[in-house]
Amino acid sequence: MPTTAMFWRIVRRLLTANYARLFVILLALGAGAAVTSALLNLQIDAKRRLTTEFRALGANVIVTPRDPGTDGNGATLDEAVLQQLPAQHEGKPIPAVAFLYVIGEIAKAGELHFEPAVIAGTQGHGLTEIRPGRRSEYLASLENDPTACEVGAKAATQFAVHAGDSLQLRNEGRTASCKVFAVVATGGAEDTQIFTRLATAQALANLPGRISLIQLSVTGTPDSLNQFIASLGRSLPGVDVRGIKQLAEAEGRLYNRISGLLSATVILVLILTSLCVMAGMSNVAIERKNDVGLMKAIGGSVRRVVRLFLAEAILMGIVGGLVGSAIGLLLSIWLGKTVFGVAAQPRWIVYPFSVAITVIVSIASAFPLRRLAGIRPASVFRGEA
Amino acid sequence: MAALALGMAVATAALSVSLDVGDRLAQEFRSLGANLLVTPQADSLPLQIGGVDYRPANAGAYLPEADLGKLKTIFWRFNIMSFAPILDVPVDAIEVNNGAAEPLRAIGRTTLIGTWHDREVPIPDGTTYETGIERTNPWWHVEGKWFKDNSTECVVGAGFAKRYGVKVGDALNVTATDKSNESGLNVVGILTTGGPEDDAIVASLAMAQQLANKPGQYRRLYVSALTKPEDAFARKDPKTMTPAEFDTWYCTPYISAIALQISEELKGTDARVIRRVAEGEGNILTRVRTLLWLVTFAALLAAALAVGASAAASVIERRTEIGLMKALGAGSGLVGVLLAAEQLLLAFVGGGIGYALGIVLARLLGERIFGFAPAPKLFVLLIILGLAALITLLGSAFPLRRASRYDPAPILRGE
Repeated sequence: MPTTAMFWRIVRRLLTANYARLFVILLALGAGAAVTSALLNLQIDAKRRLTTEFRALGANVIVTPRDPGTDGNGATLDEAVLQQLPAQHEGKPIPAVAFLYVIGEIAKAGELHFEPAVIAGTQGHGLTEIRPGRRSEYLASLENDPTACEVGAKAATQFAVHAGDSLQLRNEGRTASCKVFAVVATGGAEDTQIFTRLATAQALANLPGRISLIQLSVTGTPDSLNQFIASLGRSLPGVDVRGIKQLAEAEGRLYNRISGLLSATVILVLILTSLCVMAGMSNVAIERKNDVGLMKAIGGSVRRVVRLFLAEAILMGIVGGLVGSAIGLLLSIWLGKTVFGVAAQPRWIVYPFSVAITVIVSIASAFPLRRLAGIRPASVFRGEA
Repeated sequence: MAALALGMAVATAALSVSLDVGDRLAQEFRSLGANLLVTPQADSLPLQIGGVDYRPANAGAYLPEADLGKLKTIFWRFNIMSFAPILDVPVDAIEVNNGAAEPLRAIGRTTLIGTWHDREVPIPDGTTYETGIERTNPWWHVEGKWFKDNSTECVVGAGFAKRYGVKVGDALNVTATDKSNESGLNVVGILTTGGPEDDAIVASLAMAQQLANKPGQYRRLYVSALTKPEDAFARKDPKTMTPAEFDTWYCTPYISAIALQISEELKGTDARVIRRVAEGEGNILTRVRTLLWLVTFAALLAAALAVGASAAASVIERRTEIGLMKALGAGSGLVGVLLAAEQLLLAFVGGGIGYALGIVLARLLGERIFGFAPAPKLFVLLIILGLAALITLLGSAFPLRRASRYDPAPILRGE
């Protein structure tokens, strides 16, 4: 259709009339789109990163017997529960360690004076994730020894033992011994405990096949963590599954702060972008007075003129948005690396979203062109304002 | 002008929020709980499982409660946000009918955790400081009321309450397991912590001291301190530092330096860093701060772009005026100086208005997002005015240069 061809011809001329201005407007739209897509992508990524960071704080889910006993050693669970735990959550492995606590008596090998201490038998994988701390002494060669044990920093001082020494353990007449392969400092109760193999602790406590509790370190957002806890609680009758509130609350709060900060910035940047485009557009409005007057004089309807300018704004929004958002996504990979030390994964959903926002901003910023609708051709041609 | 003011308002808000928020974020992390644990130095090994000490009351060493005010006299006293002493007593509990003499039913053995709920601690300099377990462990939620210090009130853990059907308003009778002392307790609240305290009774420290027969003593102290994230320097062993390095280290709020200062002030104690909290906190804090500065930078950039573009636009609008001035004999230099002076004036007025708006915006954002209002800072005003002047001049330089080449005749003809 000739009218359509003419329409696009005019749009093309409108766009290319002033390259400097086109560049400024596209720069503003592109920068706005880049910041929007980079920050939105970072916001999605921050949730995932934060949950990973918070895993450095140790176990966040504990599985205990539903009816804890009333004596010092507490009630126990069947150690088979450890095998029934899911190995993964949302594609991430779950470190899980079973503990059996025994209050026994300890002495350094060759000494006669025994002192009471907590012996924690452990079994499972990921003890260092469950119980973060610093190992001050460590003998890798001993770690896989079936009688190896790890000693808390305070207990190590108390019994004057170092990696490589042996300890004697006893409880109600049953005895065992273990070789120290590491000394660990956590700052918590673990500093006073002795970590042995589960079997050693079970033999000392005379509780074969039993454990006190299981600690897990599950990576996931607070919501997915709650779902995990609920579904685990349903699938394992007779046990209590609970999250460590201390971590969940701090994490949720921090994420809200970050997410609020990023959203506020995106909104502010979009407002600034539209201001910038608006400034360019009001120049356009002044310059095009004559053009619009002419269009109207030769019979162009107001609606047609407005459609022309809308098409121009949408085109600029699409180009600025497509280029800017792509740059923003690339930028967010680098931003993720700076902030979280790991490159952020580009989420493709962000791309169409930020292009759409840019187009909307571009249309809204064409607001000054509204003035052109009210132009009277006669006065324009007479040279009046 | 509107664009200038708004752009500068955003820049002001971004700068003031991020300048202030760094310190506040560190406070935010104190909701993770204590990062320092203080225990007696010469002590038998605590038989501690899941936060509860199973040692009988007569074993091991204790610390004097009266010394606790000294915590607020260390070098970094203002960084000590809160602290709470703990004394665990193993007890046998029975439920009693309010007023009646005979026991209702036996409950069994549990632990009574004695601590401060909310306490005015006298400090050696004559003032007092309010602290307690509710501040060190803000994730502890009580349904009902907290117990009052120095009373027979107590809160019971949610697990304990569920298992034995204990409700708010019930009366308990607890006896220390060595049968030495007993006391009646009124349940005023149900405590949820997500930890081992859910299976215990929590009452005032004075109550635990009376049951354990250890007046004025406690066994563990949790301290929540604001710290600077550890860097490579903080990980050096203080013993191997030169005196100058040691001074720097001592006067920086590293958690290890605060731990040393606490054990210097409280004699016979051993202050240890709770690694999982301190290290996790440090890592996350560093990351969030980087994020904050990046976001600030993005906002500043966008503001600069908007202001520059609007400055350019306002010069382009002046084409006819420029043409007229030139027709009347003004040189390009004079026109440039005139317009630049006008832009500068606009920048200062717009920057000033923007600063005022920005303070309001920062207050709004700060309260919404971080729960506090950043204080207005004078040097932010200076930065903003400088920034506004620089950007408007840069933004108008390009169109000005073009304007200087204008031939007045076609412009005045309206072409």
